[in-house]
Amino acid sequence: MTRLAGKVLCVDDEPGIVRSLQWLLQKQFEVFTATSGAEALELVKQHDFDVVISDQRMPVMTGVEVLREVRKLSPRTMRILLTGYSDMQAIVRSVNESEVFRFINKPWNISELPKVVAQAITIAKTQPVETPAAEIPEDAPIIANGERILVIDDDPEMGRAVADLVGASAKVSYTRNLADAVGILNNEDVSVIISETRVGTIDATRLVRLMKSKHPEIVTVMLTGESDADTITTLINQGQIYRFVPKPIRTGYLKLVLQSALRKHGALVSDPALTFRHAVETTSAGAMESLISDVERAAPQAETAAAAKGGGFMASLGAGFRRLFGAG
Amino acid sequence: MRFRLVRYFTLASLGMFGLVALSLIYFEREQSQFYKQTNDEQLAFFGDVQQSFAKQQEDAARRDLLTIHEAGNVNLTRLFANALWERDFAPFVAQVQAIDVTGCQAIADVTDDKGKKAAPPEKKACFADIGKRIMALPGFKAIDAKVFDSMKKSTVFKIKVFDLRGITVYSSEHAQIGEDKSFNAGWRSAAFDGVPKSELTHRGKFSAFEGVVENRDLIGSYLPVLEPGSSRIVGVFEVYSDVTPFLKQIQQTSGQIRSTATDNQKKLGEAAAANQDAVDATSYRQLATIAGLLLLLFAALLVIVRRAEKIIQQQEADRAHAHQQLAQSEKMASLGQMVAGVAHQLNTPLAFSQNNILMVKDALQSMELPMKVAGRLSSILEDVDGDKVTIKVSQLKANLDKLQEGNVDVTMLQEMLKDVLGGIDQMSELVVNLRDFTRLDRAATTNADLNKALHTVAYIAQTVLPKNIELVEEYGQLPSVECNPSQLNQVFLNLINNAAQAIEGPGRIRIRSFAEGDQVHVEVQDNGRGIPDDVLPHIFDLYYTTKPAGEGTGLGLAIARNIVTEHGGDITVSTRIGVGTTFTVTLPVRQEAPLAQAA
Ligand SMILES: Nc1ncnc2c1ncn2[C@@H]1O[C@H](COP(=O)(O)OP(=O)(O)O)[C@@H](O)[C@H]1O
Ligand SMILES: [Mg+2]
Repeated sequence: MTRLAGKVLCVDDEPGIVRSLQWLLQKQFEVFTATSGAEALELVKQHDFDVVISDQRMPVMTGVEVLREVRKLSPRTMRILLTGYSDMQAIVRSVNESEVFRFINKPWNISELPKVVAQAITIAKTQPVETPAAEIPEDAPIIANGERILVIDDDPEMGRAVADLVGASAKVSYTRNLADAVGILNNEDVSVIISETRVGTIDATRLVRLMKSKHPEIVTVMLTGESDADTITTLINQGQIYRFVPKPIRTGYLKLVLQSALRKHGALVSDPALTFRHAVETTSAGAMESLISDVERAAPQAETAAAAKGGGFMASLGAGFRRLFGAG
Repeated sequence: MRFRLVRYFTLASLGMFGLVALSLIYFEREQSQFYKQTNDEQLAFFGDVQQSFAKQQEDAARRDLLTIHEAGNVNLTRLFANALWERDFAPFVAQVQAIDVTGCQAIADVTDDKGKKAAPPEKKACFADIGKRIMALPGFKAIDAKVFDSMKKSTVFKIKVFDLRGITVYSSEHAQIGEDKSFNAGWRSAAFDGVPKSELTHRGKFSAFEGVVENRDLIGSYLPVLEPGSSRIVGVFEVYSDVTPFLKQIQQTSGQIRSTATDNQKKLGEAAAANQDAVDATSYRQLATIAGLLLLLFAALLVIVRRAEKIIQQQEADRAHAHQQLAQSEKMASLGQMVAGVAHQLNTPLAFSQNNILMVKDALQSMELPMKVAGRLSSILEDVDGDKVTIKVSQLKANLDKLQEGNVDVTMLQEMLKDVLGGIDQMSELVVNLRDFTRLDRAATTNADLNKALHTVAYIAQTVLPKNIELVEEYGQLPSVECNPSQLNQVFLNLINNAAQAIEGPGRIRIRSFAEGDQVHVEVQDNGRGIPDDVLPHIFDLYYTTKPAGEGTGLGLAIARNIVTEHGGDITVSTRIGVGTTFTVTLPVRQEAPLAQAA
């Protein structure tokens, strides 16, 4: 029996929850519990935890706040957020502030949860830790060395805004349809994707999720208009989204996000082992097929240069997808 | 009271139109009367002018007549004097002078009943005596005959001669001889001033030279008699001449003038009447036109006002509908919020209960083999008589893993199940509170325990509120309150929600209740941001909110006040910026009138 494989801290203000988590996990791991944020942080200071699981809704300190502090105190600890009900704001904040590894919904699946925890422990134990980036002031210039940034959005203004922000230091490709995006991803070495969750009528999050599972070194930033919490939960668990930028977009904030995204990409490239910390859940089977068919259906209406090539295009598009994501 | 637009408009405008019509009629009447009056005055003036003209004309004609005849009489007197005075009358008059009349003249006059001095009968008789003595004088008969001779066939009807004492020395009418005329104005004028004096008179009966004549117009002239060859007055003649035919002519002419004037007057009157009629007709037409126009205006305005009222009513209905919908949507929104909170609240016990039960189930499964082994062992042991049994363990050894897995900590399983029971308790508490909150299964108005209701609301609110807001409940002894608990729950929930929304970060909401006389008070106190002075007067207004669109509807307090007022209660607020706000709901213990059913 593989017991005491790692140290796990469970935080929830409801004792019933921490007790049952303890019962569930204590067969495999060394489990500690806390019923408040303060108690949890005290424990984090004393012990070297591999994983902290925290409930979001707690008095005094919310889960996001607890995990943010945990990240500061112990960067190597993997963070998992337990959410009972959908609070969009909390979720966006958890992504941007605490860089959580997974969201777990209550009630959880008792066979899945130990596996997620085990995966997180493995990563925590085996993968190096990136040094936490220093606070970047808003007026600092963007540092880039010719990386390519792909912007996918219905609004051309977005592409222009990003191009203005990075200036000559990075190359920006803008497109409003996914077929073009696939083409660009195939032909260019893209470092950062900035994408709206929906492009036209197609759910673009699938592309991002698929991209991340095959090319973990690409940093993804999602622009969210009115996405629901479920979409974001899926995105974080299957796409390891680096940041969410709520629309309407503030230029200053977008600049900050771009800056840290470029830096993150630099770190991931220089130390590929880091990418394991951003491992994603396997996307559901057929996600690629449904994405391909959606894009193919939308392609004839797209004002793409590739569309002008006629009949061969569909075939090349399918091939492009397959090349991009590996054969299925 | 409701404002009845159409009715008020109709009454006011009809009244106003009536007044306008009345004043118009009044002024028209005035104008027409004024016109008539001026017409009449003009007519009368014109008539007067014509009449006076006719009169003046007649007077002038009479004056002319008089003057002409006087001149004629003067000539006649001269002739007469030349012919008769020297030879006949002078000696005769001289004779008469010898007769003393002073005795008769001394008799005093009497004042008759008309205030006029007149000679008494004895005076008249005295003079009549003197007349008889004159007529008895010699030469009288000869003079009388000569006078008659010379005057016959002339227009002179009568002739008299007076001496300078005023005594009638001679008269063609003998009865008058001897009369005293010394007081007569005509005589005095002729005798003293030497000025002839004439007078036009009408006489019904007159004794003329040729006998008695009737109905005559006569001109009588007193004429001085001058001594021939000198200008000494020696006597006075009185001559009566007949002007009846002349006067008749004059009267005819003036009659003609008069009748022409009357004719003119009549024509003028007719013309004026015709004018008046025309004017009246025009003014009636005017009145009718104005009345018609006013009616038309009224009709047009009535149409407009009715349409306006319809639109207003429609808007009113729309507003009421929109209000109802908003109230409904607010209810739905708070319901949705509540449902989300309740779902979350349920989720927690649900999560650990499910986890525990699944684990217990797995544990029970793993206990299956050990239990079977134990069961078999016990049945084997039952059949054995002695102390020892031999068991082949090779088969069991192969399953040692499973047996060990089944060696679970039963106390732990018991604790898991205990937690599950606790979770179930939590869930049922929630369900009970939910049921109490909505009270869909109860009568609308009951005698309710407000503390219990408050606790339910607090419990439900707690599920929605951020966990860093502490709810403190301090309930005093309360009598049961006659109310609609479902509605009051909504009031308290609104107040608690507002309090929570006023708090940023950690905070505290204190819910207090206490009784006072036949009233109960419920306080919801927060330590939030407080209400600024410029916001405070509006917080109970419908749709007034300071919160962003998705968060506030501005209905919460408006609905709360509505409900509380319907209960005959009152809702007040006291606040301090940065310190907090307290809302106090005061309710009577008993209702006077039955409560409305609508929630
Ligand atoms: N406890 C409170 N503290 C501060 N402000 C309050 C409080 N309760 C009400 N208000 C003010 O009164 C306004 C009207 O409240 P309400 O009628 O409930 O509408 P809403 O909550 O939808 O805005 C609020 O927008 C807020 O500005
Ligand atoms: Mg409100």
